[in-house]
Amino acid sequence: MILRIFISYACCFLVLNTLFGQAAPSAGPASPSLQLSFTHVMGQQPLVRKTVTYTNAAGEPFTISRFRYFLSNFSVEAVNGEMIPLAPAYFLVDDAIDSSKTIRLENIPAGQYKGIRFLVGVDSIRNMSGVQSGALAVESGMFWTWNSGYIMAQLEGHSPAIKSPTQEFLFHVGGYRAKDQVLKYITLPFPRPLTINTTSMPNLNLVADAEKWFLPDTVSFKKITVIMAPGVKAKQVAGNYQHMFRITGVTKP
Amino acid sequence: MLPNHNIHLKYKAIYIVGAFCLLLILVQGQAGKKYTGGPEPYLLQLPPNFPKPVYDFSHNPLTKPGVALGRFMFYDFRLSKDSTVSCGFCHQQFAAFGHFDHALAHGVEGQQGNRSVPVLFNMIWQKTFMWDGGVNHLEIQPLTPLTDHNEMAMDLKELLRKMQADPAYRSKFKAAFGSEEITSERMFKALTQFVATMISANSRYDSVMRKLPGAVFSAEEQAGYNIFQEKCAACHKEPLFTDLTYRSNGLPYLPALNDVGRMKITGNTDDNLRFKVPSLRNILKSSPYMHDGRFYDIYQVFDFYDHGVEVTGTTDPLVKKGIPLSEQEKRQLYFFLNTLTDYSFISNQAFSEVLIN
Repeated sequence: MILRIFISYACCFLVLNTLFGQAAPSAGPASPSLQLSFTHVMGQQPLVRKTVTYTNAAGEPFTISRFRYFLSNFSVEAVNGEMIPLAPAYFLVDDAIDSSKTIRLENIPAGQYKGIRFLVGVDSIRNMSGVQSGALAVESGMFWTWNSGYIMAQLEGHSPAIKSPTQEFLFHVGGYRAKDQVLKYITLPFPRPLTINTTSMPNLNLVADAEKWFLPDTVSFKKITVIMAPGVKAKQVAGNYQHMFRITGVTKP
Repeated sequence: MLPNHNIHLKYKAIYIVGAFCLLLILVQGQAGKKYTGGPEPYLLQLPPNFPKPVYDFSHNPLTKPGVALGRFMFYDFRLSKDSTVSCGFCHQQFAAFGHFDHALAHGVEGQQGNRSVPVLFNMIWQKTFMWDGGVNHLEIQPLTPLTDHNEMAMDLKELLRKMQADPAYRSKFKAAFGSEEITSERMFKALTQFVATMISANSRYDSVMRKLPGAVFSAEEQAGYNIFQEKCAACHKEPLFTDLTYRSNGLPYLPALNDVGRMKITGNTDDNLRFKVPSLRNILKSSPYMHDGRFYDIYQVFDFYDHGVEVTGTTDPLVKKGIPLSEQEKRQLYFFLNTLTDYSFISNQAFSEVLIN
C-alpha cells in the first residue's frame, strides 16, 4: 500500500518534472528588496573630488582624486536578533560614478529587521577562485596583478605635504590572507525597525565619511604616502576606515 | 511468512526508488543537454602517470571553440599596447614556450623586466604562478603580462572595447560562450582553456616509465637517471619534475636586479631569495636557466651546483654543501635530461602559431 502511494506520487512528480522542469523561472512579483544610497563626505563637508582642499587629522591640506570601495557579504538582522545572510552580491562603489552609489539588495525574506551587516572588501574565497565577473571583473583596476588579490578600498589624492614630484598619495588597501587581512565587517543598527516585504521596500540613506581614513590611528602623509601591497600600513588604514559608515535615515525609494 | 514478506517488500521498494532516481537523473540529463546545446566539448587526455590536476575545470569546461579562441588570443599581437607583442612572442613553442636565448623578459617599447620567461606546459598542475608564486590562480595569470608596463602594457578596458568592435572576435566569443558579449571573464577563461591543453608528458622518459615496447634507457641515460634520483629528485620531483615549492638554491644574489623572490609576496624574511622550483621537462630546449636567465648552458647549471652555491640564511639545506658532480656524472645527467625533451609537444600543430591578419 505504502509502495503504491509512493509510486503514484513518484509518477506524478516525474510527469510534472518532465513537463515543467525546463520552464524558465517565472517573473512573478518583485522580490522584497532593500535599497542603499550612499553619500560621500569629508567630515562636515560634502566630498568633492579635485577642486576642494581638506585638512587631515595631522593638519596636512589635501585634495581627493579617487575614492572607491567594495561592499559584499550582506546580512540583515531580524528583530529577534537573528542574522540572515543574503544571496552573494558584490558592489564597487565609486565616487566618480553616481549610479554606483545606489545599490539594491534583492531577495530579502519578508519580515521585520533592526539592522544590517556587510563587508568592506571582497571575501578571501573570491580572492582566490580565479577570474570573476560583474563588479569583480578585473578591468576595474581594483585587483593586484603581481600579488593576486582585490584592492578592498582605494583613496587617492594630492597634498603639498608630500615631497615627491607628483605630491600624490595612493592608498590601495588590500590583503585577504590571515597575516595581512584587512577585511572589515560593519554592523549598523537601523534607526527604527524596518518592515521589508513586496509592498514595503525601503531605501536606507548612508554616509561614507572619507575623513575617517585618517583617524583615530592618525595617518600623516609624511609617514604614509603610498600603500600598494598588503601589510602594516594597509591594516592601519583599514582599521580607521571601518568607522566611515553611518545611517542617516530611511526613505521610500 | 509475514517477516519474510516484509523483507521482500523492502527490497522491492529499494529497487523501485532506485529505478525512479535513475530515471530522474536521465530526464534531468536530457533536459540539461537540450538547454545548453552549447559548443563541442574538448576532451583532454590526461597522462596516466600524473596526479589529479589542481585546476578545477567545473567552472570552465574545455570546448573546441573555447580552446581555439584562447589559441588565437595567445598569438594576437594586438593584445599589446602598440600591437607588437603577443603572448607567443615570448612564449615560443620550439623552446617549450619559454623565450629562446633571452635571459630577461622584454616587452613593448623596448621595456625589459627582471626575470626570465617561464616555460608553459603542465600548468593545470600548478598551484601558484610566476617565479615568486605571486599569482594564485591559472585563470588570472595572463592578467600580469597583459597589463605589466614591461610586457604587453595593455589597458584592459581599452582591449575589451577593441575586441568588442572586431566582428571576428565577436563571432569567436559567440562560438565559445554562446553570445557575442566580450568580457574579461570570458577572455581569461578562453586563454586558460588553451593553456590547459598544453600538456607535456610524452618524452622518451615517459615512454620508458610506461614500459612502451622498445622504450629503454641507454646505459648512460640510465646512469644519469640514477644520479638524478639520488641528487636532484627531492626538489625536481617526478613526474612533473618539480615539487612546486619555493626554495633558495644558493644562486648568488645580483645587486643590479635586487630580486628578493618570494619575500616580495609574503613579506616574510624566511622567503628571501626563494623562487619556484622549475620543471626539468624539456630543459635542454628551454635555455637560458634560473629565474634571471643567467646560465645559457646546462653545464653552467651543473657547475653552479657543484661549486657555485653561495649560502645565505635561507639557502635550502639540500644544496648548502653543493651537489658534487664529476665530469662523467655531468655527462650522464645531460643524457638523462635529454630524455625529458617532448618532441611531440614542441612540434604539436595544435599549439602552433596562428596567423593574425
